[in-house]
Amino acid sequence: MFLVNWFQGVLSWLGLGNKRAKILFLGLDNAGKTTLLHMLKEKKVAQLEPTQHPHDEELTMGKLRFRVHDLGGHDVARELWQDYFTAVNAIIFLVDCNDRNRFGEAKAELDKLLSNDQLAGIPFAILGNKIDQPRAASEAELRQALGLQSYLTGKTGKADLPKGVRPMELFMVSVIRRMGYREAFQWVAQYID
Amino acid sequence: MDFHAMEEADGVRFSFTIWPTSRLEATRCVVPLGCHYSPLKKIADSPPPLPYEPIFCKGPCRAVLNPACQVDYRNRIWICPFCATRNHFPHHYADINETNLPAELIPQFTTIEYQLQRPFAPPPVFLLVVDTSVKEKELMALKDSLLMALNLIPENARIGLITFGATVQVHEIASQEMPKCYVFRGTKDVNTQIVQDFLGLGPRGMKGANPDMITRFIQPYSECEFSFTGILEGLEHDPWPVKIEHRPLRCTGAALAVAAGLLECSNPNNPSRIMMFLGGPCTEGPGQVVGVEKEEPMRGHSDIDNDSVKWAKKATQFYNSIAQRCVQNGHVIDIFACALDQCGVHEMKACVEKTGGSIVQTDTFSNVIFKESFKRIFARDEENNLKMAFNAELDVITSREFKVAGAIGCCASLNKKTPFVAETEIGQGGTSAWKICGLHPGTSVSIFFEVTTQHTQPIPPGQLRYTQFQTHYIHSTGQHRLRVTTLAQSWATAESTTENKLGPHGWMEVASSFDQEATAALMARWAVHKAETEESFDILRWLDRKLIQLCQKFAEYRKDDASSFRLAPNFSIYPQFMFNLRRSQFLHVFGSSPDETAFFRIYLLKEGTTNMTLMIQPSLLAFSFNHPPGPVLLDVSSIAPDRILLLDTYFNVVLFHGETIAEWKRQKFQENPEYVSFKQLLEAPQEEAKELMRDRFPYPRFVDCDQHGSQARFLLSKVNPSSTHNQQVGGVGEIVQTDDVSFQTFMEYLQRLTVQS
Repeated sequence: MFLVNWFQGVLSWLGLGNKRAKILFLGLDNAGKTTLLHMLKEKKVAQLEPTQHPHDEELTMGKLRFRVHDLGGHDVARELWQDYFTAVNAIIFLVDCNDRNRFGEAKAELDKLLSNDQLAGIPFAILGNKIDQPRAASEAELRQALGLQSYLTGKTGKADLPKGVRPMELFMVSVIRRMGYREAFQWVAQYID
Repeated sequence: MDFHAMEEADGVRFSFTIWPTSRLEATRCVVPLGCHYSPLKKIADSPPPLPYEPIFCKGPCRAVLNPACQVDYRNRIWICPFCATRNHFPHHYADINETNLPAELIPQFTTIEYQLQRPFAPPPVFLLVVDTSVKEKELMALKDSLLMALNLIPENARIGLITFGATVQVHEIASQEMPKCYVFRGTKDVNTQIVQDFLGLGPRGMKGANPDMITRFIQPYSECEFSFTGILEGLEHDPWPVKIEHRPLRCTGAALAVAAGLLECSNPNNPSRIMMFLGGPCTEGPGQVVGVEKEEPMRGHSDIDNDSVKWAKKATQFYNSIAQRCVQNGHVIDIFACALDQCGVHEMKACVEKTGGSIVQTDTFSNVIFKESFKRIFARDEENNLKMAFNAELDVITSREFKVAGAIGCCASLNKKTPFVAETEIGQGGTSAWKICGLHPGTSVSIFFEVTTQHTQPIPPGQLRYTQFQTHYIHSTGQHRLRVTTLAQSWATAESTTENKLGPHGWMEVASSFDQEATAALMARWAVHKAETEESFDILRWLDRKLIQLCQKFAEYRKDDASSFRLAPNFSIYPQFMFNLRRSQFLHVFGSSPDETAFFRIYLLKEGTTNMTLMIQPSLLAFSFNHPPGPVLLDVSSIAPDRILLLDTYFNVVLFHGETIAEWKRQKFQENPEYVSFKQLLEAPQEEAKELMRDRFPYPRFVDCDQHGSQARFLLSKVNPSSTHNQQVGGVGEIVQTDDVSFQTFMEYLQRLTVQS
């Protein structure tokens, strides 16, 4: 229960006792959004059908409650994303590191999100998923492909950012190997207030 | 035992056909004694409907004369097999004898239909209830479909139009000059009297509308074609302004109440369908399922489980009451929910389920799933009549040794307390009759029974048990009909004539009559019914327990020796059905919204045994150069680079190309005349898929995908994960990324637990 322990530690520091944070899982279809949510909820890997309707889970980590919305990633479903932007606290954007053919499409969707007014200043954790696969892109390659080089704000500790600058970081993860996303959530939690 | 022949002859499939003879012994069958009955199934060799009235037993059972009756030709008497009453034949049966039988006494006509001598019901009413709070693009697509569908309804069918957004509008369709409509507030629940008075349909405060006044709102399409299409074409997006952070106002509940009221005062007990076209959740008035602020999300499964739902309970109550009103009037509600997000089908499901309506759920009104399904509602039979039938009442009559425990399916209890009602209740119990307002040839209802004879009252050898299903319904031509199915089936042979107990021989008879498909479907329906009130974890445990007990009773094994475990062929697939049922979207709701879960479950409650089996355990066909096309195991090992697979889950038809095939396809080999055989290989499964989808309702989602692609998940999520990422050896063959147990592991556990002493 890594998250629980960790969150219990930071809770008093953040003073987030009864706050319920709203987090969105976004990304192209097959990026691993639902698999990640299933992992967080059931602590198990599952093979799931592509998501149609958005669905959400309440996750409790210590006293901190998250409501995570998992939205379908296929092109028609992306129209719906903006309906969930109000009062959102953080975005987790997943990218399949192996699907190089679709890096462009992923970048286009990410750029759209980053330029959306409703999401101004909202922290973005970008998860390069499926690094367990042999042909997976490296962190440098993905950073390049998504054009993130000059926008990342640092992984260690809460950065002291000038007003209006969005906290954003790239994490390389493998949901099915239970690798890397822990750091991403720790990083996100620092910015939820 | 030939279960399919029984289904062909009478539209019925039992879990066990041969029953143990006492209440106690029957409980040892583990699974319920029950059947799926399809009241409208087309029976190939049955005679045309008999043009005369049926003869009812004058005894308390009210059974209809049937081939199981004992007939004394000399004295013109028939003895009812249900209550042993001796009945005289009426005068016009004077000429009957052993060689001159009326159709209803001919032994092979166990299912027969009568045309009742009653005035015809008026032509059906299709009341369109259209959501205008949808986006402009969606409204356009919907209008196109509606205009097209008007060409499919019969000439004499009547139509009406209600639109809704922030308010409800009832359109006057007769007026040639100016379109005119009556507006109801969206925030109020209205009863039938208010609707009738406000629309000026009859004398104020008096029940029942004046038929002449009603034609302003409901009339034959042939008479108002011009004005009706004009109104439809002119429909505009709801004018109420919507802020960006708000959902549009949408008074679905109020609109349904007005629709139900309009039909109740004008067309009670006559064929009518409310067809609701819905593009989002109800955000105001009765039946509201979510707040107007987008900040508040639609409820999810976790909210329902934690009982932290704000609107759902009250909304569900409201929709249940609407469903109840429609059931009383014999009216059907269809819901076409087309939106990217949920529309509140979870709350509204009783409207469809109780009335026997149809539901279609997809992302947009331009999706082929909506367009094609909507057309198929109006499917016709060989005589060019609509296949749909209306306002049916199903009565079940049993002989004395057993009673009716209840029904599960898309029907509503009629609360008919008869001597055939058992003490035990399964599903909708406490009655021996149910209403099915809307049905079609594929509709099936599961009936559960309870043996009531005691241990001390043996059943004489050779005595049969009798069941009669009487379905009174209105054919789409308006004709009142009665279908009667009478079954005479065997009891197992008791060991002695003094004690009502089965020996090994008796149990062998019972075991040999086990229908694994029908039983899996009965258990699936029961599980889904339980899921309304119980935790899914408990239901899975209950299913597991039942499966272990069934194997303990009917498998062959030595105590504490798992390797000795054997199942007879007619039991052998049952564990696999249970394995797949446990994993299915019916019980495993993660990843589905409550609306999606409701949608899937409604179809499990609606369809016949074959389709239910397919929903529980999808079929998989393989096409390759090396082998003729044919079924393969629903297992990840069936995936191969040089194979094309075709998966049918009932809701989805998935065409899956192995990686080599996909690569050849990308290189367009099929366009090269040299590789004509490759072209044919690609086309064969396409043809097969078309065949699968030809009559399916709702029209399934068709997925064309390649191995390793995003959409391949439609297949990977369904196959048995016999190799996973946890035990990958050298990367040969496809794997499923899951921690779920495989069927092999499941079976090992089952064998171990079964043989445990």
